[in-house]
Amino acid sequence: MIYRPVLIVAALIAFAFSAAAQKVPVTEKTLSNGMKLLLVQRDGEPTVSGGWVAHVGSSNERPGITGIAHLFEHMMFKGTPTIGTKDESKDREIIADQERVREEMRREEAKLRAAIRRGEIDDLLKPENKSARYKELEAEFKKLVDAQREILVKNEFDRIYTTGGASGMNAFTSDDMTAYFIDVPANKLELWMWMESERIHRPVFREFYAERDVVFEERRMRTEATPTGRLSESFQAMVWESHPYSWPTVGWPSDIPAISKAQADEFYKLYYAPQNLTLILVGDFKAGTAAAMAEKYFSRIPRGPADAPDVVTLEIKQPAEKRMTGEADANPQVDIAWHTVPFGHPDSSVLRVIGQLLSTRTGRLYKGLVLGRGVATEAYAQPSSQKWAGLFYAGGEAKDGSTPAQVEQAIYEELDRLKTEEVPAQELQKVKNNFAASEYRRLAGGNHALLMQLIQNEGLGDWREINTAGSRIQAVTAADIQRVAKKYFTKEQRNVLTVTRKPDAKDGAPSAAPKKGKK
Amino acid sequence: MTYCNMTSALRPIGLAALLLTALATFAADIPDRPEKLTFPPLTYEPPNAADFRVALKSGPVAYLVPDRELPLINLVITVRTGDYVVPAGKEGLGELVGYLLSKGGIKSKSAEELDERLAFLAANLNSQIGDTSGSVSLNLLSKDLDEGLALLREVLTEPRWQDDKLKLRKQQTLQSMAQRNDDSAGIEFRERRVLAYGEKFWLNQLPTKASVEGITRDDLAAFHRDWFHPANFIVAVNGDFDRDAMVKKLEALFAKWPFKGKPARPVPGDYAMAKPGAYLTDKDVPQGRVSILLPGIRRDDPDYFPLIVMNDILGGGGFTSRLVNRVRSDEGLAYSAFSVVQGGVYYPQPLIAGFQSKSRTVAYAASLVLDEMQKMAAAPVTAEELNTAKKSYIETFPRNFATKQQVAGTLAGDEFTGRYQSDPGYFKTFRAKVDAVTAADVQRVAKKYLKPGEVVLQVVGDKREISLGYPSHPVKLEELTGGKLTELPLRDPMTLKPVKQ
Repeated sequence: MIYRPVLIVAALIAFAFSAAAQKVPVTEKTLSNGMKLLLVQRDGEPTVSGGWVAHVGSSNERPGITGIAHLFEHMMFKGTPTIGTKDESKDREIIADQERVREEMRREEAKLRAAIRRGEIDDLLKPENKSARYKELEAEFKKLVDAQREILVKNEFDRIYTTGGASGMNAFTSDDMTAYFIDVPANKLELWMWMESERIHRPVFREFYAERDVVFEERRMRTEATPTGRLSESFQAMVWESHPYSWPTVGWPSDIPAISKAQADEFYKLYYAPQNLTLILVGDFKAGTAAAMAEKYFSRIPRGPADAPDVVTLEIKQPAEKRMTGEADANPQVDIAWHTVPFGHPDSSVLRVIGQLLSTRTGRLYKGLVLGRGVATEAYAQPSSQKWAGLFYAGGEAKDGSTPAQVEQAIYEELDRLKTEEVPAQELQKVKNNFAASEYRRLAGGNHALLMQLIQNEGLGDWREINTAGSRIQAVTAADIQRVAKKYFTKEQRNVLTVTRKPDAKDGAPSAAPKKGKK
Repeated sequence: MTYCNMTSALRPIGLAALLLTALATFAADIPDRPEKLTFPPLTYEPPNAADFRVALKSGPVAYLVPDRELPLINLVITVRTGDYVVPAGKEGLGELVGYLLSKGGIKSKSAEELDERLAFLAANLNSQIGDTSGSVSLNLLSKDLDEGLALLREVLTEPRWQDDKLKLRKQQTLQSMAQRNDDSAGIEFRERRVLAYGEKFWLNQLPTKASVEGITRDDLAAFHRDWFHPANFIVAVNGDFDRDAMVKKLEALFAKWPFKGKPARPVPGDYAMAKPGAYLTDKDVPQGRVSILLPGIRRDDPDYFPLIVMNDILGGGGFTSRLVNRVRSDEGLAYSAFSVVQGGVYYPQPLIAGFQSKSRTVAYAASLVLDEMQKMAAAPVTAEELNTAKKSYIETFPRNFATKQQVAGTLAGDEFTGRYQSDPGYFKTFRAKVDAVTAADVQRVAKKYLKPGEVVLQVVGDKREISLGYPSHPVKLEELTGGKLTELPLRDPMTLKPVKQ
């Protein structure tokens, strides 16, 4: 295909500011096994961005296996019976042998946990704390890993894609969804069909235990070795009392090293059944051809015997304001989170408008806190309506000489203004203009960017939101804003995290510590 | 599917059998290996710069890429300026000018009025100054183009440098400076640059509390007048416009400039890399960050193509690379393990390999990276590795021009850095040059550049835990670099003077 500008289509809509021009033209189909398929045919770029959403995230987990949705995501790159190994049957035998050794290791690990409870050791992962038997088993396991390595074709799944011209292969896991995505040249649509249907159909979780260690390093990198990572994690655990959003997607440090392959197998059967998956393709293809190809490749995967269970736990209404005060290698700051509504709730549109009224350099928080009162160096507001429940965040960094308490108070004052005074028409229109323009901007980013937006909307509950949110936002009135502000921004529904700089001679920065500002 | 097992009635059996056959035919159509698939041909030619290039009479060269699909226009002016022309003692001036140019008001409007008007139009007008370039960009709905260009002209020629905005930005800069030692990644980035280029190199002249406090409104105005004039601009514009009409508008935008600036200065390349050895900065975190540095090249070096292919196989290719396979997949020692060969535009940039691992396995993982470097030099890469690395560049090449913004931006970038002038066929011949690289080329450059005994090994992490090592893999950092371990103290975040421990 030759690189070609899309002048013809463009001329038709160049001056049409109609709502239709802003819609994302999605064709929706359901395959015979219940798998959903979304297709967006686009000219221009000679690529196809392909992805799929598994409607499962860390909120589908339970204590003991927190982190399994994310670890599972890592395992989906390890291959299939024929991709990733030179000897399928020997590979299967070795994996079974490995599991037998691991079963014994798990018994030893239980003894180590008992030793922790008795106060005999302090840390499961420290090499010095391992029992003699455990070390023997480790050596035995290593022999099996070495044997498997003999027949392993390392990262073959990736190699096939890369050689085929694909790029950007990746995946993510959140509270609500797990998504896999990649860009392939336009002529390689069938390669995508082959590869993705193959790994969904019959993934093989080889190198499971090394990958568990990788995930623990990921946890260290993102959460434990960052200035405020542990405080943020702990704050979420305080905000959510009953709902599974309380645990981190990466998993608790005790759970990651305890997840077994058998648990991953069980997880796969339930949550990776076709009826729980949505395929999404954006790019240069014919929708009819792509749909037929998808049916051919993906319908070979049998529908699962059981549908994934609903998340039944609702967040219990908190009886009082909750507060957490911590110290970190960070400037003094405050974060506030109010319980609101989930994705798709009518009030979520109003909360998005409020978020925009408060944010940006012409928003109320910057004007009120950074410029006006001069108590903050920066301030933010962020609505976050997730699949099962929602929050609205606001916060800021205290300016030298001010305290997080002053920032917090100023935020409440700005929110009170939303409750008591009607937002002026011009200000509301400014915010709506930005939402309207973003409907165009999201289409300017290429196939991959559009795929990611569809993944988000579909994973949170319904891809259609990408086309319906715009008109609902334009319909928000000043009265809606007042009503919603009063309803959600209450003391009883809020959670507050205050951070002050940790006084630490070793790392520190004597001159960096704020002179005032200690609470 | 369960009805396939029913055997009690003839009819269902027949149906089931039929379905099974149909499925079997379908399944038989699906080959057991993806190599057996055949694909339609895909030919691609990169955009021809000359088709988009216009040398404006008013000074700048512009790349215009019309695209009527959406009612948006994106315009980026790249400016020949940067931190490298900031006078000694005024470190931080580039950032302040870059930010305040568009955020400090203009002749006809205060900063607040300008912000409000742009926000109401849902237009973005931003400016910034980086190491070796600055930029001013405008992104708006095409219906607002004329108003946007008028505001842009004022931003470029008559910035107000409002005192209250300068004061606020300085305060924000100082407060963010206070966080310089908070994140181990930030410490690693800063100290790595010092190791790579030396304390005296212009890139390491960082703002301090004293330098920022000493910057005045006059400094901003002088810096702006020196460098922000049309002869120093390269323009990229894409979106909803007619080419001829846009040329006229750009000529007007840059005509009759009210001041005469200075010609752009060449970017100095007089750096000095640290002596080989291990360098450790102590920081209380559970995971050590490691960077391994070796002397690298400029992007116009004859070794460039063999070296990028070699790097892809070593650690640049993600999951198909040796470092990821060894350090991550085999050993589970890191989430991220990589190597980078950039090819400097103005001076050679070092080759960097890196990873992050729990303190106790930092030294062991580092020894694996050095071992992989050794292996790259010791034996030729396999045909499969070579093919994968080459394909990863060749087949993904069209993605450099995936959107119209990328077409305009990439072409303008080559104009700005001079490659369009020195090698106008660069994009046309790129794939052939990658394809010409042989396994012998890869081994030759591996031998030339990957010298494990001469690395600068940088570690930021918990000194005590890192030195304990791991019982089953007793490796010491200093053993990896011939016994040399230098401790790099943290610096005071406001003065950058080393802090006595």
